[in-house]
Parts: sequence; C-alpha cells; structure tokens
Amino acid sequence: MHPRIEMNTSEAKEKLLLYRGPIDDADPELREALAYAHRNPELAEWLREQVSHYGVIRSKLREAEPPGDLAEKTIDNQPILFRRDWTQILKLAAAIIISATITALSMKFWQRDGHRLIRGREVVVKGEVLDLTCYVAYNLSGPEHASCAGDCIRDGLPVGIKAEDGKVYLLTGFGAHVNAELADYAAKIVTVKGKETARDGFAQIQVEEIRKF
Amino acid sequence: MSADPEFENLVKLYYRDLYRFGFSLTGSEGDATDLTQETFYIWANKRHQLRNPTSVKSWLFTTLHREFLKICRRRKGVTHEPIDESAQNFPHVSADVVNRIDAQTLLDALGEIDEGYRAPLVLYYLEDLSYKQIGDVLAIPLGTVQSRIARAKIKLLQLLGETKPCTPA
Repeated sequence: MHPRIEMNTSEAKEKLLLYRGPIDDADPELREALAYAHRNPELAEWLREQVSHYGVIRSKLREAEPPGDLAEKTIDNQPILFRRDWTQILKLAAAIIISATITALSMKFWQRDGHRLIRGREVVVKGEVLDLTCYVAYNLSGPEHASCAGDCIRDGLPVGIKAEDGKVYLLTGFGAHVNAELADYAAKIVTVKGKETARDGFAQIQVEEIRKF
Repeated sequence: MSADPEFENLVKLYYRDLYRFGFSLTGSEGDATDLTQETFYIWANKRHQLRNPTSVKSWLFTTLHREFLKICRRRKGVTHEPIDESAQNFPHVSADVVNRIDAQTLLDALGEIDEGYRAPLVLYYLEDLSYKQIGDVLAIPLGTVQSRIARAKIKLLQLLGETKPCTPA
C-alpha cells in the first residue's frame, strides 16, 4: 500500500472553500482538510472567516420574504385539474382503436367486394398533433401538454391532428409508424396528406405523407 | 378552501423556499413570483408523471431552475464576465465588509455571475443540500457542482470585495 501524501495548505484551502459547517462534516475530503486546518493556525483563522462569510450571505439570502398573498394567489389561480383515471383512459383508447380498426376493415371489405363505397377524398390538412386520448378525455393539448402527449403517442395511444379550422381527425395509415413518426411532434404543427374518411361522424385520415416543420 | 388539498398543502409547504430560490437567481420580485407560480402549475399538470413522490421538493427546484433558464434564453442580451476556471487566488474580504453588504448589493453581485455557476452557488447558500443533491437538482455531475460552486464563490467574494458597502450617514 502506498504511503498517503498529506495535502498542502493550498489544497486544504481549495477543499475548505466549500465548507459550510456540520452539514459537510461527513465528507471525507473535507474532514481531512479540517484536520489539516486544526494543525495550521493561519489556515484555521482563514476557515473561521470563510464559515462566517457563509453564514452571513446565507442569512441575507434567506431574509427575502415572498409577497404576503403569493400562496393564496397561487392556490386561487390553480389550473383546473383533470384527475387521470387510467382505467378510463385505457377504455377510451381501446374504444378509439376498435373504432379505427372497424373503419379500416370495413373499407377493405367494401373495396374487395365491390360494395358501394363512400370513397375517401384526398386531403391535405395542417394542424396540431394531438394525443387523442388526453384530448378527448381531458381536453389537454398545446405546448403545456407536449411532453405528456409525446409519451402517450410513443406508447401507442391514438394520435390525431387538429386542423386550423378546429376539426379533429384520427390519424391512421402507417400502422405503428404514424405514432413513431409523430411522437416527437406532439403539440407541434405538421401537414399530413392522405385520404379522409368518416364513420358515424368520426373523421380519420389514412396518412400517406407527413410534412413536419 | 381549495378543491385540491394536495396542491394547497404543497404550495404552503414550499412556496417560501421556491420564491427565495427564484429571487436569488433573478434578483427580481416579479420574476421570482412568476417562477414560483409557474413551477406549482407545472407540478399540478404533471404530478402523475412524478415517479418518486418523496423527491417532490427536489423536483420543484429542478422545474423552477428549468423555467429560469428559459427566461435567460428569452433575454439573451445580458452577457456575464466569464468565470476564470483556473483561478486559485482566494480573495480576502473582511468579515466587516461582508456584514455590512446589503441584500440588494448581494443580489446584484449574484446577478453578475453566469447562470450556470449562479444556480449551484445559490443552492449552496440557501438550502441544506449535499453537493450530490445539488447536482441532482441541476442535472450536473458532482465534480462539476463542486468546481462551479468554488469558482462562483471566489467570483462572488471578489465582487463583494470591490463594492462599497452601505455605511450609516
């Protein structure tokens, strides 16, 4: 085992510059520097001054008092909270997925068997990417909700787009790729091109192309 | 009475600490108030994402700091004198000078320090956090925390040493 080299005054000062008092006593490096200071009166005096400076500056910063009504105003202006019931969210997500699947299967069936098909028209829609579950269930959208929306879309929950005219569409078409493509664009503006279809008033776009900004 | 007792309790418990952190970072009552409120509202919106409810105070500090950095980015015009990473000279500032410095002078001096160094220094003074905890709040490694606090403290003491403290008339 190598013999331990004792620190010098400069090294001890550098360590002790951070020393605040008992709160830092558990730090082995600071303990070693403190022991060194006990043997060096000049350093001990410097340390006393540093700790005194620390106490004065700390108390001056802690003197700041918030406005008397800050807590009340914060509570009074609290945003309306939407408690998340994950069972409800999953039910809603399942309902949306089932609805989209039925729509897609029905369209394929109609195409194959030559039934009368209300063909989707080609549309180009520009709008905000939505996490449809949170949007429908809790009216959550916009930049404040971007992070959560990104997570939900990435996790496979239905993704939608809110057009500039306010109309909301479910986005399908690339399978899981729609979610992967759009997760990072949650709450941002994109343009999608695809076929618009509707079922029971529920609009969807089978995406063919996505343009991101 | 609030419709959300959890939110109300959280505000009452931490609004002072958050306000002081915001005030020491910005030197502005208005900004500190806005940062404090915004932090609580972000919590209200994202509480379901908080993985460890016991670390809520740390989460609030982290969030306030992020919001503070957003303000800094929006107000890019201010440039700070770079911190000398190699500085080894420990300035001598007498206890008398430090004792007589008023709070505004102290805030002005903090405002001269680069934001990346100011935040760890403020937490070092304000909160009884270990260096590891400060690093966790600011998302920087332990060694960087200690180095930034040391450099920022030297800079702060230099600035305080250069000021003329208020003297009674």
